[in-house]
Amino acid sequence: MSKPTDLVQGTLDLLILKTLALGPMHGWAIGQRIRQVSKDVLQVNQGALYPALHRLEQQGWISAEWGESDRRAKYYSLTKPGKKYLESEQANWERLSAAIGLVLKSA
Amino acid sequence: MRWLKIISNRFYNAFRKNAVEQELDEELRFHVEKQISQNIAEGMSPGEARRAAMLEFGGVEQFKEDCREVRGGHCLESLFADLRYGFRTLRKNPGFTIVSVATLALGIGANTAVFSMVNALLLHPYDFHNLDGLVRVWEDRGMDAGYDARYIAPADAEDLRGNNRVFEALATYSVQSFGFGTEGNLQPVLGCRVSANFFDVLGVHPAAGHLFSSSAEQPGSDQIAVVSHGFWKRRFGGNPQALNKTISLNGRVYNIVGIMPKDFDYPVPVELWVPLALTPAEKSDRGQLSLSALARLQPGISVSQARAALASFSGRLEQEYPKTNAGRTMTLLQLRKELYMFTLPLFLLLQAAAGFVLLLACANLANLVFARMIGRQREIALRAALGAGRGRLGQLFVAETLLFSLAAGFVAIAVSFASVRALRTSIPIEWTKWVPGWDGIQVDSTVLLFTILVAAGVGGFLGLGTMLHASRVALNKTLKETGTGTLTPAKRRVRSALVVAQVMLALMLLVCAGLTIQGFTRLANVYQGFEPASVLRVAISLSEKTYADTVKVTPFYEQLLRGTASLPGVQHVSLISNAPASNVDNEVTFFTIEGQAAVKTSEMPSADLQIASSDFFEGLKIPLASGRVFSEADNAGAARVAVISRGMAARFWPGADAVGRRVKLGSADSTEPWLTVIGVVGDVRQNWWNPLTRPVIYRPFAQSPQRSMTFLLRATSNPTQYVSAVREAVRQMDREIALSEINTLDEEIADSIAIVRIMGILMGIFGVVALALSSIGVYGMLSESVAQRTHEIGIRLALGANPRGLMRLILGQALRLTAIGLGIALPISFAIGRAMASLVFGVVSVDFAVLAGFSLLLLAVAVAAGYLPARRAMRVDPLISLRYE
Repeated sequence: MSKPTDLVQGTLDLLILKTLALGPMHGWAIGQRIRQVSKDVLQVNQGALYPALHRLEQQGWISAEWGESDRRAKYYSLTKPGKKYLESEQANWERLSAAIGLVLKSA
Repeated sequence: MRWLKIISNRFYNAFRKNAVEQELDEELRFHVEKQISQNIAEGMSPGEARRAAMLEFGGVEQFKEDCREVRGGHCLESLFADLRYGFRTLRKNPGFTIVSVATLALGIGANTAVFSMVNALLLHPYDFHNLDGLVRVWEDRGMDAGYDARYIAPADAEDLRGNNRVFEALATYSVQSFGFGTEGNLQPVLGCRVSANFFDVLGVHPAAGHLFSSSAEQPGSDQIAVVSHGFWKRRFGGNPQALNKTISLNGRVYNIVGIMPKDFDYPVPVELWVPLALTPAEKSDRGQLSLSALARLQPGISVSQARAALASFSGRLEQEYPKTNAGRTMTLLQLRKELYMFTLPLFLLLQAAAGFVLLLACANLANLVFARMIGRQREIALRAALGAGRGRLGQLFVAETLLFSLAAGFVAIAVSFASVRALRTSIPIEWTKWVPGWDGIQVDSTVLLFTILVAAGVGGFLGLGTMLHASRVALNKTLKETGTGTLTPAKRRVRSALVVAQVMLALMLLVCAGLTIQGFTRLANVYQGFEPASVLRVAISLSEKTYADTVKVTPFYEQLLRGTASLPGVQHVSLISNAPASNVDNEVTFFTIEGQAAVKTSEMPSADLQIASSDFFEGLKIPLASGRVFSEADNAGAARVAVISRGMAARFWPGADAVGRRVKLGSADSTEPWLTVIGVVGDVRQNWWNPLTRPVIYRPFAQSPQRSMTFLLRATSNPTQYVSAVREAVRQMDREIALSEINTLDEEIADSIAIVRIMGILMGIFGVVALALSSIGVYGMLSESVAQRTHEIGIRLALGANPRGLMRLILGQALRLTAIGLGIALPISFAIGRAMASLVFGVVSVDFAVLAGFSLLLLAVAVAAGYLPARRAMRVDPLISLRYE
C-alpha cells in the first residue's frame, strides 16, 4: 500500500515553519491546518509532528509559550531567525522542485 | 542570540527535568482531547471518539522518548546520573575511597606546596611593575668561570646609557657598608649607592617623601638619603618627623628625603640608599668593573635582541679601547632569572620529586582501581550486554575517578593551606630574609588552578585507563564465569605487568629522592677544608675618618689580637678579610706571574685576594701542604710574601713546587711589590653556591692592613662566652668602633645555606612519602596476588604438596617479578642519576650504594609481601580454603 501522507524528509520542518508564519498555533492546529491546506493529501502523523516541533524549538527556529484560549495549550510561534530560515528554505525548495519538474517534463 | 537560546534551552532541559516531562504530558494530552472533541463533532459517541483518537495517536511513550531525545540534554542528565552513581559506589566502599583520596591528596598536595614555592620565588620574586622588562647588565670577561661577579666599568656604563636603542633607562648601583651614627656610637649599616634614576627604572615609589632627582648625582649635592621602612622603624620609631632629619654616614651628614615601603628590599635587604655621585676620575674609569647595572628594556625589545645589541656594542668598545676592554663582552639576564641562577636547578629538582610522588600515588591508585575492576567485571559485562557503548561506560568510569580525584584535590588544597602556613612560619626569618619573594608564598588563584587542573588530569587519566581495560572485557566469558576470585591467564599477565611497573617506578623515584637528599646533605657539608666548630666571628669596621691612615690600623688590630689571645680557654685569634660562608664573594684581583707577563689585560690571570693574620690558618685548621704559613716576622718591614691555595698552585705551577715563585698584583708594569710565595695551604670553599674552588692569594695583614676585617676566635668550648670580653677589648681602645655580625662560624654556615636546608627538609619529606608509598604499593600488589591464590594453595596442599617447596615457589614468583622490575629500572635510574648530576653540578652524583640499597629494600618488601599472605594461606585448613571462593 502506498503512503501518500509520507513526506519527503526535511519537508515537514518547512511545512511547520510556513504554517506558523501565519501566527502562533498549537500542535493539533498545525496538523489540522497542514491537512486542510493540502486538501487532505498531507496527513501529519503526531509521532512525527511533536518530535519535529521540539527539535525546531531546540534549534531556536520557533519558540513555545503556554497560552489560554478555551483551555491551556502550548502555542508555537516563529522566531526572527526562524523567519529568515523559512525564507531561505522555501527558496531552496522552490529551486529544487522546479528543477525536478524540468527533469520530469523533459523525460 | 539564537545560540544563547539554544544553550539556555539545554540547561532548562537538564535542570528542570520534571517540568519538561509535565509539559510534554500536558501537550500530548491536549492533542488527544482536541482529537476526541473533533471526533465527537463528527458524530462519534464519546467512547468511540476516545478509542479512535488513541488509536490514531499510536504509541505515546515512543513519541515521548523521541521528543526527549531531540530536546537533548540527556548527555548532561546521564552525567549527573553517573556522578550520583559514582558517589554512591564510593560511599559504599569507604576503605577504598579513603585510601585513594588520601594517597592522591598526598601526591597532589606535595605538588601544590612546591608549586606555591616556585610560583612565589621564581615567578613573582619581586613586586615590580613589568618585572620581565627588567634586566641586569654586566661585562663578562670570559675567564671568571665560577664567579658570581656581574659588574660593569663606570665609563662603559655611561657610554652604554647614551648609545643604545634597546633600553628605556639604565641605572647603576653599588652595595656597601656605612658607618652610621654619631661620634662615640658608630654602627655599621648596609647601604646602597644608586644612580639617580635607580628607583625610576624599578618603577617604585616612596612610602613618604621623595626620591632622587638627577642633580643628586653631582658631587656636593649628593648628601641626601632614602631609608628603608625597617631603618625608619628601628632608628626613628616610625616617627613621620624623620623626613628632613639628618643622619651621619662615614662622618658625612645626609638629609633623609624619603622612606621606602615595607616590602622594598632591592638589590639586597639594605637599610638605606644614597646617590652614587662619582668624581670625574671615577666616571672615566674603564679598567675596574666596580658597579652593578640594572636596565629596563624598551617595549617590544626581546632579551635576545638586547643581548645581540650589547654584544655589538661591546665589540665597538673593544676596538676603541683595546687596552682595557679587550675580551670583555656585555651581556644581560632577566632580573627574575638572575636571582635564582644557583637555586633554579634545585627548584626544578624539587618540582620533579613532587611530580614523582604524584606519579607513584597514581600508580598505587591505578592498582587499587584495577583490583576493583576485577571485582566489577561482571557488572561491566552486564552493562555492555544491555547495550552500554564504550563511550557510555567510559563516561561512567571517568565520572567515578574524577569524583575521587577532585575530592583529593580539595583535601590537597586544605592540606596545602596548612602546609604553606607551616612552611612560612616554621622557618626563622634570619634564614628567609635573603630569599626574595618568600613572603609571597601562598595558596593563590594560580596555585588553586594548578591543583584543580592536576586533580582533574589525574582523574581523567585514570578513568580513561579503566575504560580502555573495560572495553576489552570479553562479555560471554565473563558472564559465564562463576566466582570472582579466579584470574584468567590474561588477567594474571596484566597484574604481573602492574607489579613490575610498580617496582620500576618505586626504584626510580627512590633513587632520585635518595640522590637528591644525599646531594643536599653534601651541600650542607660543603664548607670543608676548615673546622668551623667553636669559632666566634665578629666583623669589625674602623671608621674612615679616624683611621684614614693605615699606619693606625695595624696597631689597633695587633693590640686586639694580643689582648684576646691571652684570655683563658682561647686557642687562636686571627683576622681575615672575608670569612668563609659570609655569602659574599672574595675580592678578585689580576696578577702577574714573574716571567710570564700577559700581553693583554684580558689574558691576565685572576685570583681571589684574602688578607689574613698569621694565626688564621691554624685558627681554622686549614692544612698546610708545603712551605710555611705567615709568622710574626712577616711584618711591614720584611720582604713581601704570600701564601697561596693548593688549587692555585696546581693551576699555575702544575707538577712543580710553587714555593719560592713570585707574583705581583695587577699587570706587569704595576707599582705593586713582588710577592714571594712562602707556602701552599688547602682549598677552602668560600660560599656554597660556587662549586668551583677558586685560586686564592693570601697576604699577611701586617703587610697589607685594611680597615674592615673579620675577627676569628677559637676557644676550647662555647666561643660565645667571649663576646663581652672582645667587646670590652675593643671599647678600651676606641669607643666608636662598631662590632657586627657577632655569631659563631657554625651558625653563620647554617644561615648561609638556609634556602638549601629548606629544600633539603622538603626533599626529605618527599623521600619518606615516596618510600612509604612505594613500599605500600609493591606490598599491596604482591600480597593481593598471593592472597588470590588461597584456593590454589589449598588444592596443592590437599594434594600433598610440600609446604616448604610451595613457599619457595610463591616467594620465587614474587621475587622474580620484583627482579624483572629492578632489572629494567636500574639502568634507567642510573641514567636519571647522570642527568641529575649534570643538572646540579657538584650536588648530585650517581652513587651505587644508593642504587643497591634501594634495590635490596624493594626485594625485602617483596619477600614480606610474598611470605606473609602465603603463610596465612597455608595455615588455613585445606578444606576451608577449597570452599573459599
